[in-house]
Amino acid sequence: MSENSMSSTLISRESIAVNRFGYGARGDELAHAKADPKKWLSSQLQTIEFSDNQPSSDDVFVAHAKFQKQKKLMKQQQKQAQGSQAQDKNKMIKSAARKTYMKMSAASLKQAITSKHSVSWRLLDFFSNHFSVSTSGRLMVGLSPTLEREAIAPNLLGNFGEMLLAVEQHPAMLIYLNNEKSFGANSRMSKKRKVGLNENLAREIMELHTLGVNGGYSQTDVIELAKGITGWSVKNTKKEHGTGFVFRTYGHEPGARILLGKKYAQRGIMQGQQMLRDLAMHPSTAKYVCTKIAHHFVSENPAQSLIEKMQKTWLNNQGNIKQVMLTLFDAEEAWLESPQKFKTPREFVISSYRAIAPNRINDRTLFNSLTNLGQMPFNAGSPAGFSDEESDWLGASALMARVEWSSLVSAQVKRINAEQVMATALGSSISQNTYQMVMRAESRQQASTLLLMSPEFQRR
Amino acid sequence: MIDNKNTKNDQQASSLASQLEKTDTLSRRKFIKMAGAGLAVLSFPMSSALAFETKNNPKHNPKIVWVLLRGALDSMHTIVPTLDAQYAQLRPKLSKSFKSPLLPLEKGFALHPSLPNLHQWYQEKSLLPIVAVSSGYPKRSHFDGQDFLESGKGEIDHDSGWLARAIEVKNKSALAVARSTPISLRSSLVNAEQVNTWYPSKFKSADEDIYVALNKLYQNDEALKEKLTSALAVKGLVDDNGQNKRKGKFNDLAKSCAKLMTTEQGVDCAMLELGGWDTHNNQSTRLARKLTELDSGLAELKAGLGDEWQNTVVIIGTEFGRTAKENGTGGTDHGTASALFLAGGAVNGGKVKGRWPGLKSEELFEQRDLMPTSNSFSWFASVLSQHWQLSEQELQQVFPQVKSYDEALIKS
Repeated sequence: MSENSMSSTLISRESIAVNRFGYGARGDELAHAKADPKKWLSSQLQTIEFSDNQPSSDDVFVAHAKFQKQKKLMKQQQKQAQGSQAQDKNKMIKSAARKTYMKMSAASLKQAITSKHSVSWRLLDFFSNHFSVSTSGRLMVGLSPTLEREAIAPNLLGNFGEMLLAVEQHPAMLIYLNNEKSFGANSRMSKKRKVGLNENLAREIMELHTLGVNGGYSQTDVIELAKGITGWSVKNTKKEHGTGFVFRTYGHEPGARILLGKKYAQRGIMQGQQMLRDLAMHPSTAKYVCTKIAHHFVSENPAQSLIEKMQKTWLNNQGNIKQVMLTLFDAEEAWLESPQKFKTPREFVISSYRAIAPNRINDRTLFNSLTNLGQMPFNAGSPAGFSDEESDWLGASALMARVEWSSLVSAQVKRINAEQVMATALGSSISQNTYQMVMRAESRQQASTLLLMSPEFQRR
Repeated sequence: MIDNKNTKNDQQASSLASQLEKTDTLSRRKFIKMAGAGLAVLSFPMSSALAFETKNNPKHNPKIVWVLLRGALDSMHTIVPTLDAQYAQLRPKLSKSFKSPLLPLEKGFALHPSLPNLHQWYQEKSLLPIVAVSSGYPKRSHFDGQDFLESGKGEIDHDSGWLARAIEVKNKSALAVARSTPISLRSSLVNAEQVNTWYPSKFKSADEDIYVALNKLYQNDEALKEKLTSALAVKGLVDDNGQNKRKGKFNDLAKSCAKLMTTEQGVDCAMLELGGWDTHNNQSTRLARKLTELDSGLAELKAGLGDEWQNTVVIIGTEFGRTAKENGTGGTDHGTASALFLAGGAVNGGKVKGRWPGLKSEELFEQRDLMPTSNSFSWFASVLSQHWQLSEQELQQVFPQVKSYDEALIKS
């Protein structure tokens, strides 16, 4: 990665601001950022509001309950009559859920493509991947896209602890990591029916969301946290009034807990909440999350001094994400002039469309682009989220797929002007070789494909 | 399929030749090589290197397929220890959840009913289940556990995998059915031409001349240039244009994998991955489905390998096992010891290997997990030693921490 950067063109300050920290230049952003790149960056941190009318997690639950009811009804019908018609209907409802999920995923992508504050969208996507949920099972298909909208975006520029609490109490996370049925073996509930602990969420909170795998916790700590959040559950829409998060007091494991050497004597929901607040401000968490942010935005080997500055801001400002980001922007270690990272498929697709700015982008095309490039929205398939390493994205077949995608997009956009796209996206930060190859290409389509596939556009 | 394309490709190749004339000498030299191989679309040095290797060993070309099950397979729900009285007590629900009778193995073990093909191979003595194994990874994180298993060094190294080191030692070639190279096949010392990746693409192919231009575009970017070269080497070997809608399913990946292993320039080993084993809840239904997927995919691999199956060892493993006891939600949590399968015509199977540690509380690891009684890497080392003839010294380069076992795993 860095060996080849030796021979590559140095990146201008405005291009670093726009392309390394944001989703790539759109329109005349490079010109705007040029006067004062750092100031431009800090003005980019804006609250994200979803401008669409997509379903909330509550809507998803209502639709799901309806679906289950109909499914049951259809099963009965199927027993009586020939099932083909009923089956068709079943399929129709199923595909409706998929369609909603696809539309919601595309809506987020589109907003990132058109936003004037793409740095904030990068930050949202960073945390959405940090708290990764996947569409496993019909309910999660609908719920997955709601987590970033309901728990992450509202806390994006606030304190990490608040975001953490919102995420771990959101039905998408509770169901994805199986906490909704994790109850204490000594709880009141256990006297009526057989219930027990499920460690999954507790382990991933510490391993992936806060301390990091080497953050200094033990198997005992996993169990203590799991017990602390027993009863953090989700309403059963069929049997209970309303939808969403519910704390089931009678399923909570009674008694004080010891987590990382500290005693938690709180009762009920307060116990787990206090545990999470403390985890958010643990030095290991500050180190782990700041390293991950620097690794994502700047380099796979971020300078130790950069991480230390960010950590210090985290610990002195209640884990305030905006302050941590401002520290990052301000640090010279983040402004290395050679390209440091290979774009992920999501970064590649969004930055391509930002540079090209087509009049219209089809939702399905957009969604399928990500899917076929290996980064299907809400489908990392693991709570660790998608990888942020060049070695996981720069593969032979992966590169081939990018070539094919670039060629396709370049053919789809009418009268695409590669020279203009080049100026919009990269300004002067382009090698002579690339410039000449693009300008001397044999067709508009080839010129634009080469530009999108150039080292300068693939890396940032 | 490849034969039909040859004439067309030759034409493409000659039109590429004139374009390449204009480019630098390096790419021209490469082109001359590829034109000589006369492969589908553009062929690059990898193909010719492999063709050479195959010619040297026309008859015996021992193959290895490494299948990594990501997410921690519950071995006790796959190779069920019906011999152990504790088993049903620890798992009152799960032990009664099988929808059809278990498939019997020796010593009181039994396979999950969703594994009929594996069971048939067992009866044909070409499947060897190994119980209570572990890589030695001491914690319970999936991600570290997988990286540890792929590294094979007793520590995590994201840039060096055990299979890549074996390839390096024996000058073999490999293919990962993945978009990019998994850790198992990474090594700074392996020639880029020895390890390739392939994954089905859903996009329409780009015009051929773009690849020539890209080759020049990447003249100052080694990494991009290298990947482009590798990609062109396998492009067109598997027909992935359109027809198959369920691309990306394990069945199809296994089928394509077999195809890529058996072409004239076929590779010596391949890696497949299958996720979805992290069954914290509803394990009975989920594993029934996943094991069916695994079983039928492996059958597809065998069918595709044809006669080569007789020279093949498939190693199937997972990062760690799951708790001996079932949890409160019809599943199991992260544990320690798990199981391995060796499958293939070359395997000396029909037995169950590995010492069963027992399931009494004091016999469990940290009183919760199945206790490991043997090391996965030692089993891998035994396969490498018997199937690829790695010497003790060579094995030390692959697995510096362990020694191979003195067990006959490969048919003589």
